[in-house]
Amino acid sequence: MRVAVAEDGALFRQGLVLLLEAAGHEVVACEAGGDPLVAQLSTIPADVALLDIRMPPEPDGGLVTAERLRAAHPDMGLLFLSHYAESHYLMRILEIGTDRIGYRLKEKVGSVEVLSDTLTRIADGEIVIEPELAKRLVERPRSEKRDLVASLSERERDVLKLMAEGRSNNGIASTLFVSAKAVEKHVANIFDKLGLHADTSAHHRRVQAVLTYLRSQRGDA
Amino acid sequence: MTPGRDDARRSAERWRDRQTLERRLHDGPAQRLSALTLRLGVLRADAPGRNGDEAWHRGLDVFQSELESALQELREVAGALYPPLLDEAGLGPALRELVTATGAVARVDVADVRCGTAAEGAAYFAVAGCLAAADATPGRPEIGIRVRVENDDLVLTLSGVDPDQRRPVLDEAAPLGGCAELTGPAEITARFPCA
Repeated sequence: MRVAVAEDGALFRQGLVLLLEAAGHEVVACEAGGDPLVAQLSTIPADVALLDIRMPPEPDGGLVTAERLRAAHPDMGLLFLSHYAESHYLMRILEIGTDRIGYRLKEKVGSVEVLSDTLTRIADGEIVIEPELAKRLVERPRSEKRDLVASLSERERDVLKLMAEGRSNNGIASTLFVSAKAVEKHVANIFDKLGLHADTSAHHRRVQAVLTYLRSQRGDA
Repeated sequence: MTPGRDDARRSAERWRDRQTLERRLHDGPAQRLSALTLRLGVLRADAPGRNGDEAWHRGLDVFQSELESALQELREVAGALYPPLLDEAGLGPALRELVTATGAVARVDVADVRCGTAAEGAAYFAVAGCLAAADATPGRPEIGIRVRVENDDLVLTLSGVDPDQRRPVLDEAAPLGGCAELTGPAEITARFPCA
């Protein structure tokens, strides 16, 4: 895969290039900030751009850079790597795009298998969210009023958590050891209970289900 | 009781020092350790002859998991010094993140304005203290967290809280020249002068 990197920490940037190359990927651009990467990628094609969130242009250059890259190259995957996994950034990231996009902790992509799996899923169009963040958001008990999940069964909650990690129905089925048909039924029930009806595409509703849930958990109106 | 202008200035300076320490943790040790997880991944991939060597792989697993624990501990220390999100995005996002992360039962209504490192830091930790105290209370009533800016003061109104929390809130506000009053049976209003 052709990948581009923007990261202001020299040590992490060098480590990332070494690991990407060990995993058999081609690093087509490698910069210390967002602006030079955008300039490079105006002429060099790349499949996925790996972006630090906290880098120049300050304070959260990764997000600004991602917006510009998404506008100029809609098919390019975007993977945010950060020292922090925060729901605030997850919401901002999902505002930039809900496909070909990912958000992972820097120390969780330190093997060729995990790094390649993350990049492949993004290039295939999925959302990849740090599992710990998805879990934290889905499992916290809340007050009755906001606890949309209170209306979900335990199994539906498991399915929603895996949806929040960006898993496909088949992926969820194999994780939970149930049939894909059973997962489809759970997903339909989740859409129904969260009030997401069939006027939009399945992918869009899937993202909406996750976003509705995340918003409810954050105490937003 | 009211601190002088110099005391308030020194207190504000200490908040900026805390923020600087958080940045140093992020740019220094945290970056070194996360870079090491990548080097460890390269080492694992570069050892074809070691594929059958269970002990070697177990050793690398321990190494990786210890690095992850060290990074998690660094994040906790950094958060106790000065939450990075507070610096980058302001009080509203930082407080919403706190509510999400702690599972507190709270409603956040924060004006989208910036009030400086010291006032924002002191108000954040005043709220964090109240949420932690309420967490131990049975029944856990919903806490209202409201922030507005009036006459160059960050005004924090906490509702549904124990009146005993006025003292710890005052301890955050007073060094900056602010105050904290009971404004209802379960309501505290505190003012933090913006720098």
